[in-house]
Amino acid sequence: MTHPITVFVARKIVTMNPSNPEGTHVAVRDGKVLGVGTLQEVAGWGEYTLDATFADKVLVPGMIEVHAHAMEGLTGLFSYQGYFDRMAPDGRRLPGLRSIDAVLADLRRIDATMADPTEPLLTVGFDPIYFPGERLHKGHLDSVSSTRPIFLLHASSHLGTVNSAMLARHDITRDCLTIGVAKGDDGEPTGELQEMSAMALAQSALVPFMKAATGEECLWGFGRMARQVGVTCVTDLASQVLLNPAALGRWQRIVNDPEFPSRVALYSLPAMPGASADFGSVAAAIKRMQAEEATEKLRFPGVKFVLDGSIQGWTAAMNWPGYYTGSDHGQLLTIPEQLVDWLRPFHDAGINVHMHCNGEATIDVAIDAVEAVLKDVAWLDHRHTVQHSQLTNQAHFRRMKALGMCANLFANHIWYWGDQHYELTVGPERANRMEPCATAKRVGVPFSLHSDANVTPLGPLHLMWCAVNRTTPSGRVLGEQEKITAYDALWAVTQDAAYQMHLDGELGSIECGKYADFAVLDASPLDVAPMAIKDIAVWGTVVGGVAYEAAVTR
Amino acid sequence: MSEPAQPPIPVTVIGGYLGAGKTTLVNHLLRNANGLRIAVLVNDFGALQIDADLIEAADGDTISLANGCICCSLAGGLVEAMLGILDRPQPPEWVVIETSGVSDPVAAAQYAHLPGFRLDGVIVVADAETVRRRSIDRHVGRHVLQQLRGADLLLLNKTDLITTDQRNDLRQWLADIAPDSRVVETVGARLPVAALLGGSHVAFDRQSHDEHFDAHRTWSFSDAHAIDGGRFRATVAALPASIVRGKGVLHLVEQPEVAHVFQLVGARWSIVRGSPWVPADRVTRLVLIGLPDHSDHSDHSDVEAVDRMLQELHVDRERSDPLDEELV
Repeated sequence: MTHPITVFVARKIVTMNPSNPEGTHVAVRDGKVLGVGTLQEVAGWGEYTLDATFADKVLVPGMIEVHAHAMEGLTGLFSYQGYFDRMAPDGRRLPGLRSIDAVLADLRRIDATMADPTEPLLTVGFDPIYFPGERLHKGHLDSVSSTRPIFLLHASSHLGTVNSAMLARHDITRDCLTIGVAKGDDGEPTGELQEMSAMALAQSALVPFMKAATGEECLWGFGRMARQVGVTCVTDLASQVLLNPAALGRWQRIVNDPEFPSRVALYSLPAMPGASADFGSVAAAIKRMQAEEATEKLRFPGVKFVLDGSIQGWTAAMNWPGYYTGSDHGQLLTIPEQLVDWLRPFHDAGINVHMHCNGEATIDVAIDAVEAVLKDVAWLDHRHTVQHSQLTNQAHFRRMKALGMCANLFANHIWYWGDQHYELTVGPERANRMEPCATAKRVGVPFSLHSDANVTPLGPLHLMWCAVNRTTPSGRVLGEQEKITAYDALWAVTQDAAYQMHLDGELGSIECGKYADFAVLDASPLDVAPMAIKDIAVWGTVVGGVAYEAAVTR
Repeated sequence: MSEPAQPPIPVTVIGGYLGAGKTTLVNHLLRNANGLRIAVLVNDFGALQIDADLIEAADGDTISLANGCICCSLAGGLVEAMLGILDRPQPPEWVVIETSGVSDPVAAAQYAHLPGFRLDGVIVVADAETVRRRSIDRHVGRHVLQQLRGADLLLLNKTDLITTDQRNDLRQWLADIAPDSRVVETVGARLPVAALLGGSHVAFDRQSHDEHFDAHRTWSFSDAHAIDGGRFRATVAALPASIVRGKGVLHLVEQPEVAHVFQLVGARWSIVRGSPWVPADRVTRLVLIGLPDHSDHSDHSDVEAVDRMLQELHVDRERSDPLDEELV
């Protein structure tokens, strides 16, 4: 039986294959690329159908996001109150709110649309770091409604602000002993609930949100969001598939559905029912999934450890001299010698490990642990990856290079929190070398760029724009010396992104033998002015030769 | 919201660095529960090394033991584990949370304020041999100090591995860096169950099988006449450091119509207004648990002091007047 061949013609095809960098035609059979070049060069594979849908578009390799969370799929399902504009998976533009008054006006608008006056109102995305000097409290929210319970889940997911009706509904009073229930000078709760232990007191708002985060609509939204921004393989980098077998079935059913527009790589948290810390059995379970459950679209490349907090939350673990303002040094979440024991079963089984490390101290700990396991088992091609890796310095990178490690840099931070890092968290010098792409390139550590969606919006063109321009909202250039070229940035979100998941033999470039995964763009990010990279329109994607057109932005 | 129908379940949080003896302590608890239905929330069942013949049932996230205790996994997070406990057909009478090696146990303790629970105390286990070295470790030192400072009751464990001089130095150092934590010295984390779960009358009244493990002294006090709240608080504040647990229902001169509940864990104690008395029950009942104190004071002088202090609560009633002071 002959399998049909489709030849896509484009204005330009940027392959990211160094030995065959450009073409105008790509021949596809069985979801994979036969060849890229001129029509003449690809026509020899046999009878084909010419598809001119992209005749005026530019194809680049489908972009790969190696650090996102499925919760991104919830964007737009709950009212969004972030500072910056955001897009929902269906293309809706969710406007940013630039003042507390704007947040309150938006709440009044939502309140008026809700029929039941006692139904809780929950919004997401609010971030107090953009409103220095004015702390949101229950009084603000009481001005919206004295009867409807209101809960603003902040962007960090570590804080919430509620109104008096919510406090009353859950009996959160001055007598409440939970430390995270912030109290004012009068001893009464201010409405701010800090950390999950306090937020969980207001269950009526939080429980529906938590349920939605594991629901089918969320997973579909995750894939559709990928399509909107040119991503053809997206990770859920804290997956609970091991902990919750029902979740595995849900992912399989949805991702393997031909309508689902992306590949998905699930990096499990090392948690299983019951014997959660028996990492030997966790490693065995991952090996089993890799062997028996993986499909062309759904993969289980490895395991994810979370080793510290966040820089903008002052919880990333720092070395001397600690944070620029505030006296704390952050929090390690794992004991260094224990981390070695935890890594060992995965490393020994040949499972790729990704470690969430924001602070310098945490990066030390992660590198030390990889060095320790490598001394015992010489798996040289592990590609264990420091995720976030925001404050990685040259000494770190040199060790990482020597040990065969990768970095995934959180380039979006430059735009979303760069000014705050400069002024508040780490100070000018270290802020200028955050997300040090140029140092990683100079030392030779393979690196990718990530959004940590839903922490920041999914969108590799925006990541590239950040890495190339390093511009903050105030107009500051954060670290001129760490800028990279558009080519290096595109390489990071394609070839090196695939590399750090051991998928670069299948993904990451448009070349013979790899999957036919393309991002379909109006212009090449290598040709436009650097400041225009983020504004390139995305038509949609091609995944395994199947076109998925983005919903029109509106 | 109205008062919950069931009294809140007490929650003990056990923290401390890797290898300090947390799991050993939890094991002791499970083996000496004496009929108290304890739920322990742990990250790792495997480390508990529960005898197979003790296990009655295992269903993924929960292991049920023959003695009525259960072990629950924390893999899904504390909120999920705590809410799951309340949903059980027969909820436990006590909850013990074992935190991981660099966790701040005080942060975990905040989950004990969820509806249906109350925080009983934070117990931190420290390895006498290594704790000072850990406290200056460039990566984890800060976390170790944070744990020690957060303890209501600080178990200085493995004291058999250090000399008397080292022990005295260590006690002085702990007094400096964790002044609000009450220190108890142990070997093999063998803290009497009564000192851990002393708030329960069940645990008070039952005999432990392990005599050595249970070396402690109990004081009981009762008085049908109202006692003076101000005097009572002064008495509690002056108790010797060897008193590690206390629980009681107080009949106070200041508010004779309402029972007050007294709790003490290590250096931390509270008096909380409870429900109105059933008239026939209007009696102060108090239990204190003391452990042999290895520091400066001899056990003997502590015993006499506590005897005397309790006695004075009785005689004081003739001259006591209601005070204006607000209760804690």
